[in-house]
Amino acid sequence: MCGIAGVVFKDKKLHPVGKFMTRMLNALQHRGPDSAGFALYGGLGLEEHEYLLNIEVKEKPGLLEEVKTKVETAFPIESEEIIPSVENYIIYRCKVNLDSFSQLKPLIMDVDKIDNVMVLNGAHSFEMIKDVGLVKDIAARYNTEDKMGTHAIGHTRFSTESIVDRYHAHPFQSYIIPDITVVHNGQITNYWKIRDPLERKGHIFETNNDTECIVHYIADKLAQDYSLEEALEQSVKDMDGPFSYIVGTPNGVGIAKDQLGLRPGVMAENDEVFAVASEEVALREVMDTSDIDQISPGESRAYTI
Amino acid sequence: MKELKINAQEKSPREINRAVKQAAKENDRIVIENPNAMHYLLAGLTEPVDVVIDGSAGYFAATMIHGARVHINGNAGWFPGDNMTKGEVIIDGSAGDGVGQGIYGGTVVVHKDVGSRTGEIMKNGTIIVGGNSGFMSGLFMMGGRIIVLGDISDDAGESIIRGTIYVGGEIKSLGKNAKIEELEEEERSELKELLENYDFPLEESKYQKFRKIVPRSARPFYGQESEEG
Repeated sequence: MCGIAGVVFKDKKLHPVGKFMTRMLNALQHRGPDSAGFALYGGLGLEEHEYLLNIEVKEKPGLLEEVKTKVETAFPIESEEIIPSVENYIIYRCKVNLDSFSQLKPLIMDVDKIDNVMVLNGAHSFEMIKDVGLVKDIAARYNTEDKMGTHAIGHTRFSTESIVDRYHAHPFQSYIIPDITVVHNGQITNYWKIRDPLERKGHIFETNNDTECIVHYIADKLAQDYSLEEALEQSVKDMDGPFSYIVGTPNGVGIAKDQLGLRPGVMAENDEVFAVASEEVALREVMDTSDIDQISPGESRAYTI
Repeated sequence: MKELKINAQEKSPREINRAVKQAAKENDRIVIENPNAMHYLLAGLTEPVDVVIDGSAGYFAATMIHGARVHINGNAGWFPGDNMTKGEVIIDGSAGDGVGQGIYGGTVVVHKDVGSRTGEIMKNGTIIVGGNSGFMSGLFMMGGRIIVLGDISDDAGESIIRGTIYVGGEIKSLGKNAKIEELEEEERSELKELLENYDFPLEESKYQKFRKIVPRSARPFYGQESEEG
């Protein structure tokens, strides 16, 4: 089933976006108990060329040191933090200074070569938080309620095809362009038809998960100078299956829904806030919902700041 | 009149529905406070009681009710009134997909817009939409009537077998086996009586604009018209 949500504060100022997204996802908990995730934009405050890596590391003697050595050999670590997780894993979070964005994906792939280690993401303008379990537990583990930002997307997962683990928790991220994320409810049934041309262009797929396919597809379109609205509109024409998904970018949030309208999507908007979600119960956490819109089959909406 | 209030805060749909069924035996009117767009409210309620949901309801509100008169002050999610057999569901706000899905009888009224597939596979009864209705409204409709005061979106009446969809606004496109006909004067009078009863005060000229979508054939996919019972 899965629950998806997105919120944008139109004034571009920092708001307690982590608290709002936590509440939205908590309200959607019934749509998926397996894992949950957040992409919280605008509050990291990193300097140019600074990137934050979230690395899943199994609790095993010497393994964390091996990870640190691998990262530091490539780029100096400016700061670091260890967040305890579950199932004998920790999240090692470190800030590195790269020369350019193009160095990020190779660094991630290099660290991923270490057994029992997986880079969950690397980002400049948003904070990725995703883990297995319930929203309230993940929120407490990562202090999501304290996070500030301008906009956010989030997800509660009811796994259908692929494995339940941290990496397969949403949001998924693409490195075709910086800091693009997707959360998704549904299935892309012409998955290979979408994936093949992207791989022929050299884009790297890490999983067989269809949400990863969506985020690479949208990133590829944005890299070709499509606007977010245009990319969403084209995706609805190109992708088959029942789906609704939300995209997060450094300056906005968008939603798209399949042409038969087989997955839910609602939105509400006022002068201050633009919000989208699977159900009204999530919108109610951020604004008055006396007037909500149903996203129509084949429709997409976006708001950029 | 005996009335009972039930606070839905911190309760599960099952707990609320059990409490409503119990209370319906001894009360004329039940008010559910703080519903917070919760799913499955009033599922399977068979007592002919008045219920007010004081806010928004989630999916399957008043599914399979038989005789209750339900008033939702806010919005409703997907499938309000699903498979109901008798009674009334009135929604002051908007609603999601599948409003009145598969109803056998009774009336579902939504004052604002609704999503897609309104009245899909409905067998009888009445659905009234005060605003617009989305994609494939009346999908595989097998009886009853849908009345849309606003516009109706693509593929209206897709594979409709029986029943009638009255539309006051634009018809974007028709589905397979659907055709448009003009109304008889008697039908306009029926519509007027019905809509006024549910607080839709329309100008006389509006009734003249109504058209209806009906099936082209009762056996569109296989068999003969003569086999139709």
